[in-house]
Amino acid sequence: MTPKQRTAPPFSPVLLAGLAMRSLPPVLLQPALDAAMTAIRRRRPGLFDRISCLENPRFLIDPVDLPFAFILVPGPENPSLRALRKIDGDMDAEDATATIRGPLLVLLDLLEGRTDGDAQFFSRDLAIEGDTEAVVALRNAVDGAEVDIVGDVLSLTGPFAQPARRAVDMAGGLFKRAHQDLEALRASVISPAMRRGKAQADRMNKLEDKVNALDRKRRKAGAGKA
Amino acid sequence: MNAKLTLGPVFFNWPPENLRDFYFKIADESCVDSVCVGEVVCSKRAPFFEPYAAEVIDRLTAAGKEVVHSTLALIMTTREMDLVRDMAACEEFFVEANDIAACALLSGRRHALGPFINVYNEGTLEYLAKGGAERICLPPELPEKSVSALAKTSKAELEVMVFGRLPLAVSARCYHARAHKLTKDNCQYVCAGDADGMEIETLDGDPFLAVNGTQTLSHAYYNLAAELAALLAIGVKRFRLSPHHTDMTAVARLFKDVLEAKESPEDAEAALAELVGGAPFSNGYFHGREGGRRL
Amino acid sequence: MTARAPLELVCPAGTPAALHAAVDAGADAVYLGFRDETNARNFPGLNFNRQELEEGLAYARQRGAKILVAINTFPEAGNPGPWRSAVDDSASIGVDAVILADIGLADYAVRKHPGLRRHLSVQAAASNPEAIRFYQEAFGVKRVVLPRVLTVAEIAALNKKISVETEVFVFGGLCVMAEGRCALSSYVTGVSPNKDGVCSPASHVRYEDQGDRLVSKLGDFTINAFDEDEPAGYPTLCKGRFVAQGRASYLFEEPTSLSAARLLPELMDAGVTALKIEGRQRGRAYIAKVTAAFRAAVDAVARGEPAPDLDLGAVTEGQRQTAGVYDKTWR
Repeated sequence: MTPKQRTAPPFSPVLLAGLAMRSLPPVLLQPALDAAMTAIRRRRPGLFDRISCLENPRFLIDPVDLPFAFILVPGPENPSLRALRKIDGDMDAEDATATIRGPLLVLLDLLEGRTDGDAQFFSRDLAIEGDTEAVVALRNAVDGAEVDIVGDVLSLTGPFAQPARRAVDMAGGLFKRAHQDLEALRASVISPAMRRGKAQADRMNKLEDKVNALDRKRRKAGAGKA
Repeated sequence: MNAKLTLGPVFFNWPPENLRDFYFKIADESCVDSVCVGEVVCSKRAPFFEPYAAEVIDRLTAAGKEVVHSTLALIMTTREMDLVRDMAACEEFFVEANDIAACALLSGRRHALGPFINVYNEGTLEYLAKGGAERICLPPELPEKSVSALAKTSKAELEVMVFGRLPLAVSARCYHARAHKLTKDNCQYVCAGDADGMEIETLDGDPFLAVNGTQTLSHAYYNLAAELAALLAIGVKRFRLSPHHTDMTAVARLFKDVLEAKESPEDAEAALAELVGGAPFSNGYFHGREGGRRL
Repeated sequence: MTARAPLELVCPAGTPAALHAAVDAGADAVYLGFRDETNARNFPGLNFNRQELEEGLAYARQRGAKILVAINTFPEAGNPGPWRSAVDDSASIGVDAVILADIGLADYAVRKHPGLRRHLSVQAAASNPEAIRFYQEAFGVKRVVLPRVLTVAEIAALNKKISVETEVFVFGGLCVMAEGRCALSSYVTGVSPNKDGVCSPASHVRYEDQGDRLVSKLGDFTINAFDEDEPAGYPTLCKGRFVAQGRASYLFEEPTSLSAARLLPELMDAGVTALKIEGRQRGRAYIAKVTAAFRAAVDAVARGEPAPDLDLGAVTEGQRQTAGVYDKTWR
C-alpha cells in the first residue's frame, strides 16, 4: 500500500488519541473509545451478530507504531474497547483469544474496508497470533459492516459530540503531514516490529521519539490555527 | 457370513509384467472375491498394461474372481474420454465409474461406482442406483454416521475401503513430474520409481503424504480392521482393500479372518503392521475425525 | 476488430458490503452463499442470512445485476434439511439462479422448483462433454462452471460439443486439485470442502514465531515457514512447502493467484459465456478493485481492443499471478 492509492486520508479518534494524548493515561482515552463503540453499535447493528459464532472472544489489537494497544471484546450485548499503555506492561496477550499486530494505518484501512485482510497478511503487514478463526471472523464482520469511523463518530449526539467534532476538525489540517511521517515510520517498523524481545523494545523507543516529534508539530499547528 | 472383499484398482505405476504377475498371484492364491482392473489415475500409463490385460482377466475369471473394470477418476482430454467410452461400450464388462461421465455412459445397465464418485447422501445414491449402479464404494471421507444412514435405505450394495493409503485428491497437474522438475507432457514416467507413491514430508521432516503422479494419497495406511464389526452391524458387507507393494494375499487373508472371527483385530493389526513395513495406520474418517488420525 | 457482446462478469460477495461493492463496480452477477455448511465458503463471520439476501437481491435488481446462490456442498446423509431449505428459500426469495454440486440436491431442486434456474458448481467437477450432458439432461442445468483443470484449447473444444453455457474462473485463489474431489483438508483437520464447505479452516491454523522464522501450521502439520523478509501466506494445504526427493519446494502450487486477464480474447473465442472471480472470503476492497478492473477489461475486449494489463498485484496471494492450468505447461 502506498500513499497514492489512498483517496481520502483516514483519521479517527484512535489516531488522534495516539498522536495527541500519547502521554496521558489510557483511562482518559476511554470516553472516546466508548463513544466510538456506541456509535458503531448503533449504526452497524449487524456487525457483532456476525461473530456470534465465537465464544467470548477477546482481541488484543496492537498498532505497533503507537504506545497504546487495545482490547476489543465484541460481545453482541455489550461490546467494549479498552486502551492499554504498552509501557505499563499490562498488555497480556495470553488473555486474548487472538492478537492482531500491525502499523496503525494498516489496521485503520482494514477496519474501514479500504484494504483486504488477506492481501495485507500476505504482504506481511499484519501479524496474527492465537485463534486464527476468531481473527477471520472479526475481519469478515468488520469488513461486512461498512464501518466509517469518522462518519460514525460525527453522527453522535450528546456531550461527546462536540469535542469529537472539534478533534476531527483540528486534525484535518495537519493530517497530511502527519500521514507522511507515519508512512516513513511505518516503513521503518513493519516487519521487525512484529517480533518480540529486545529488538522490539529498542524500536519502540525510537517510535516514542518520532511520535513526540509529531506531537510537537501538532501543538504548533494547533496554535497557529487558533 | 457373506461378507466379501474387493481388491481395488492398483493406483501406482508398476512395471506391466509385475502387475500381471501380481494379478496372477491374486487369482491363484488370494481369498478376495472381486478384483478391480484398469488404470484409474493417469491415462498415459494405460497402454502399457494392454498387452497383458486379456490373460489377467482370463486367469482371474477362471479362478472364480469377479472382474471389475475400473475407469479413470478424472477425464479431461478427448483421448481420455474415448478410453472411458470404449470401456463403457463393452457390454459384457462389469464397469466401475470414477467420473460422472462414466455414470452417464453406463446408465441403464448394471455397473459399479468407485470412491471418486461423490455419493454423500441418500438422494444421490438413490438417483444413481436407479441408473443402474448396483454396487457403490463410498468416498473414504464419510464417517460412520453417514455410512450407517446410507446403509439403511440403499438398494445398491455398499462397499467401504478398509485398507491402504487414502486417495485424497486428483489433479490435472502431475506432482511426480513436478518434483523431478519435469512437466506432465514430458514426464519420463518418473512415477514408476515409487511403488507405493513418493513420500512427502513437511519442512520439519514429518511424513505427511504420498504422491502418485496426478494423485495425492495419505502417508498413513487407512486400516479399519478394528471397525469391521461395526461396519457389519451397520449392514455393510463388502470391503475394499487398496493394493500396495506388499503381500496383498496375506493382507486379504487377515481381513477375511477378522470378518469370519478367526482372528482378533489386534492380532491382525500386528501382522498388517509388519506387512506395511511399520507405516502408521489411521482410521479417523470413520470416526468423524481427521483422516490421518488413529483413534 | 468488430464489437461483440461482452462476457458476463460474475463476482463474489461474502457480506452485503461486498455485494454492494461488486454491483457498484460493475458486476453483471454476484454469487453468494447462506451462512451455513450449504456453501463452499462456510467461513466464520461470512455469508448471508435470508433477510440480507432479500436486501441484496433488491439492491442488485435496481442496478441491473443478478444474484446467484451457491449451494454447492454435498448434503450430509440423514440430514438433508439445511440444503433443501437453502434451495427452497432461494426459490421463494426469487434469486436468478442456484449453483449446485450434488446430484441428489439437483434432483430435489428440479422436482420441487422446476422454474428455478440451475447452474452446475465447479465442485461437481464436470470436466468433459459426457459429464456435462448428464447434468444438462438429468437436471436441466443451464450453465456449467468449469473445473480448473482445462486448458483454453480444451475449453474451446468442449464448448463445441455441448449446448449449455460455460463459466470459467479468471481471477483469485486457484485450487490445484480437481474441486469436489479433494479430501486433503479433512485428512489433516477433519473438515472438508465437500462436507463442510471449508478448506484448511482457520480454526486449525496456527502461526508460530520461532525467532528467525514464522511457521504456519494446519492441524499437527507444518505447512510452511517464512524467513523474516518473506511474505507470509495463509496455510492452505496445497499451497504449502513440502519436501519431496530431498528437496523442499511448493510441491503442489506456488502461492500464486490465478489471473487470466490476458486470456480474455481467447476465452471469448473459446465460446465461454461468463467469467468468474474467486474470493467470497475476501474483503470488499478487494472485490471492488478486482471487479472494476475486470469490468474495464471485459468491455475493452468486447470492443475488439486487446486485453489491458490489470494492476492487481497487491491483492493477489504472495503477490504473484499465474494463468494456471489455462496454459498447458502448468501441468
